[in-house]
Amino acid sequence: MILPPLRYLRPGSVGDAVHWLTHIDGAIVLAGGQTLVNALKLDLVAPTALVDIHRLDELRSIAVSPDRTLTIGAATTYAALAASTDVRLTAPSVASMAAGLVDRQVRNRGTIGGNVCLNDPTNNFPPLLVALGARFTVLGPEGTRTIDADDFFVGTMTTALGNGELLVSIEIPPLPRGARLVHRHLQVGADSWAMARAVVRIDDDNGVVVASRVVVGAVLGSPQRLRLVERALVGLPTGGDLDGAAAEAFDRESIETVGDVHCSADYRRQMSKVQLRRALRDLAKGTPS
Amino acid sequence: MTMQDTATSTWTGKTVPRKEDDRLLKAQGEFGDDTPIAHLGHVVFVRSPYAHARILDIDVSAAESLPGYLGCLLPDEVDVLTDGFMELQPAPADAEVDKCLAAGGKVRFVGEPVVAVAGTSRQAARDVAATVVVDYEPLPHVVDARRAVEPEAPQVHDEIGSNVAWDGVYDWGDIDAALKSADHVIEVDELHFHRFSSTPLECSVVTVSYDAGIDTFNLIGGCAMPQITTLMMAAAMRHPAEKIRIVSKDFGGSFGVKIGMYVPATAVALLSRKLGRPMRWTETRTEHHWMGGHGNERWFHNVKMAVTSEGRVLGLSYDALDDVGAYTRYEPLGAVIWTQVANACYQLQHLKVHYRSIYTNKGPVHPNRGYSRLQHMWLVERMMDIAAHRLGFDPVQFRLQNYVQPEQYPYETVNGCVYDSGNLPLSLEKALDLIEYDDARRLQRESAGTGKRIGIGIGSTLDSGTNNFGQARLINQFLPFSGNTEGGLVRMGVDGSVYTVTGGVAFGQGHETTVAQVVADMLGLTPDEIITHRGSDSALSAQTGFSGSYASQFAVTGIGAILNATRKLVREIQLVAASILGATPEEIVLEGGHALVLGDPERALPFAAVAGIVHFSPADLPAEVADEVGLVGRAVYRAPFEIPDLERKRGNLTLTYASQIHACVLEIDEETGEVKILRYGMVDDCGTPINPMIIQGQVHGATVHGISAALFEHFAYDDDGQLLAANFYDYHAATALDLPSLRYDSVVSPSPFTPIGAKGMGEGGGAPLHAIAAAIQDAVGGDGGVVLESFNPPERILGLLNGGTESTVRVLR
Repeated sequence: MILPPLRYLRPGSVGDAVHWLTHIDGAIVLAGGQTLVNALKLDLVAPTALVDIHRLDELRSIAVSPDRTLTIGAATTYAALAASTDVRLTAPSVASMAAGLVDRQVRNRGTIGGNVCLNDPTNNFPPLLVALGARFTVLGPEGTRTIDADDFFVGTMTTALGNGELLVSIEIPPLPRGARLVHRHLQVGADSWAMARAVVRIDDDNGVVVASRVVVGAVLGSPQRLRLVERALVGLPTGGDLDGAAAEAFDRESIETVGDVHCSADYRRQMSKVQLRRALRDLAKGTPS
Repeated sequence: MTMQDTATSTWTGKTVPRKEDDRLLKAQGEFGDDTPIAHLGHVVFVRSPYAHARILDIDVSAAESLPGYLGCLLPDEVDVLTDGFMELQPAPADAEVDKCLAAGGKVRFVGEPVVAVAGTSRQAARDVAATVVVDYEPLPHVVDARRAVEPEAPQVHDEIGSNVAWDGVYDWGDIDAALKSADHVIEVDELHFHRFSSTPLECSVVTVSYDAGIDTFNLIGGCAMPQITTLMMAAAMRHPAEKIRIVSKDFGGSFGVKIGMYVPATAVALLSRKLGRPMRWTETRTEHHWMGGHGNERWFHNVKMAVTSEGRVLGLSYDALDDVGAYTRYEPLGAVIWTQVANACYQLQHLKVHYRSIYTNKGPVHPNRGYSRLQHMWLVERMMDIAAHRLGFDPVQFRLQNYVQPEQYPYETVNGCVYDSGNLPLSLEKALDLIEYDDARRLQRESAGTGKRIGIGIGSTLDSGTNNFGQARLINQFLPFSGNTEGGLVRMGVDGSVYTVTGGVAFGQGHETTVAQVVADMLGLTPDEIITHRGSDSALSAQTGFSGSYASQFAVTGIGAILNATRKLVREIQLVAASILGATPEEIVLEGGHALVLGDPERALPFAAVAGIVHFSPADLPAEVADEVGLVGRAVYRAPFEIPDLERKRGNLTLTYASQIHACVLEIDEETGEVKILRYGMVDDCGTPINPMIIQGQVHGATVHGISAALFEHFAYDDDGQLLAANFYDYHAATALDLPSLRYDSVVSPSPFTPIGAKGMGEGGGAPLHAIAAAIQDAVGGDGGVVLESFNPPERILGLLNGGTESTVRVLR
């Protein structure tokens, strides 16, 4: 059978969902099914129950607070993100990434929560959300907690979500004035598997880099912040040789990559550097994020 | 009969919307998995996870208690119930034993079927399959054809004594003398043409109902070569061919790769008979990638090309290792099929090829769009390009100078094939116009120093169509095949409506439309008035042994047969009308649904009256007319071929040669090796068109397939013999987002050898593979490496930009 015998549960509230995730051993969350349905078909996962949260309105809202913090429900589809004026105005990088993701069918089903909770190293959103300094609101049997992006993504296909915990929403704080962000990707064809991803954010105060976040994807343990590169950039004039400083620091970073049918591990590593360089050049050119 | 013999050419040659599209767009098509069958059981195969292993034990006991379990078929049963499938290769490799389940107690590739299980639903059958335990003892395996020919290599088929399925030398002209005397000799150690497939939208589906009362197997499913399939199954199952009926309805693509469907179909048939109920097998995409048919992978070694100082190419020689995978199936026909285009597009005088077909522990190859010819033409075109670059000839002029020239047709190749017609220089001129060649060269100059490099490439190819099956004797003199035929049937129903059936099996090429166009012209009707049979049915007497859709031939063979059949029906209508209207049959013309007396349109008989008299009132007719007329025209088209000269390996092997000249402009990113196609032009010449829109659609399809193969599609195996691209996660077939807008133009060089001057087309010659390789080379330039692979993903291109293949390419003189 394509699906081995399992329970399919559709909770009426996030509370019900958490209840089932807590009390049913082997229960997992089904959102858009973009990856999970394929993983089930290929026998890569063997859950006992699917808790289908994709119809919960509580998880599908998009809201902007007065301080311009964007809050996205975990089950919001890429299509909804791309179409939202709020998202386009407050976090244009999220909207543009969602709009370019794979194809219309996938955008209509796939959710941002699924994308980050799976944390496949090749996924688009984790590096971006780390660069944006997103916060993840999680409901569990012990109540609600908020996790910073840096702590949320733990390792390859792993997040900080504990037993019974459900990602409810993602908060994206407004970028400080003068901050700019660029993401760059190398994929198989126009819309397939990632070979390299890089996201760079520079916070500019009076022509000086006061903070930066540099994140690569498609590496082992993605999303990976390149702290040495970040440090190398801070203090430089934003119009200066960010490129050169980043390249020198990149070579000192410990980045592990793996090869697959599309390219070798070496190429992946090399391309991370190229994508980083390009993101920095885009920033220098003032390419909008 | 030629078109000149027919009354009018109102429809033939015109763009007419496809008859098929109405039902397909409304989801009223009937594909393999759609046909409702009562009491249907479902088959799932338990497949080998190993590239090479001995089967120690098979335990199906756990299955018996599962709900929905119907039964299973084991290799031991197959051994008793069937003989091995017919092998085409001569001794010693004819000792290969190929059965529908792993033969001889071992598996030979990942994905090989070992057990077939049946359940009341597809899901039940999957559950059952998951409980079957097969105990394997892994054996040493070989996945690289170059290693497979070494003396100590693991043996894929123990009974043969080596991994060589076929070994032969083709030697035409005197290449040794040419290499000795030529002003220039280029030598390349190794080039490689990779594995990929055609990715039909519909995977294979076969439903078999065994009718015990009449001991007959009824098959439903896309079957590209119904009578060869029947023959393969009949011989293996020791069952009369006329008690195997094959019906195809709508058919979501074959491109040659589904020619191997007789293998799983035999297992499904055996299960249907064993369990006493109809059985269906619906292939998954992963199964299709494992064994649905890979294109031939080929290594070219010791390639030498002789060129004069004026830039005339004299000829070339090389050694080929063709990796056919674990079973030969349709192979080693590939070992001779390439010789249909021995000259490629050029006036070569000397050609010597040592060709070996090699077994490896990989999925079996099958004919795949451009079958076996595109590999050779890629090699020739690559060598033309390398020679031009290395010797300093302009790649355009170098090709123009060496192309077969328009006035040379019919042109005899080094091996006696006859290129029927064409105009390659004009085609190239048009292709270069499509890409705005001079402007592209300007762009290329301007790109220097920008981090992007622009390259321009040409792909010159032929699509040889309508095989002379006599060429099979060149690989095995005992094979009883020669020539080529196709069948067709046209009949008039009781109300005067017209029904046509062809032997060809359409899998998307619009045969229903093109048939209706030519028949409408002959009967004085419109295509809408011609009822065309959907798909094919071996019980309808429209087929011959070679019937089917493969090898770019329908416009010649299928249309030829239907024209001949229609001519018979026309004659019968004339006989009936003449006797009723008091005229001679020669005076009767067909127009607007009437048979009327030439020059006297008042004396006319509607088709409904013709049919009514024949079917319901034969006493109105003179006895000699009533006795002869059945209002059914059934005819065969025979392609005019002779048996080749086996000693000299010479003869005319195909009737028509459509040509494809492609040109592309692409941009390479110097830091990543990514390719972006900026402009793509394709010029097709397939003789007299029947429906220009359908031709253009097929040219687009073949081009997209070729671009995808050149840049994305690769059936890579790892060292363990695991297929790394077993699904669409890892096998990227190009989508619209990956492709440029395609620019099309055509040249019309009617074939002097075919019924209406049309040529077979649709496969194309893999021109995008050649054009893209050439364009990458052009972009990389003289300082970088040489393009020696047909597959060029970004990482490989980056490697070329960094050089590295110098030592394997030498200009000896």
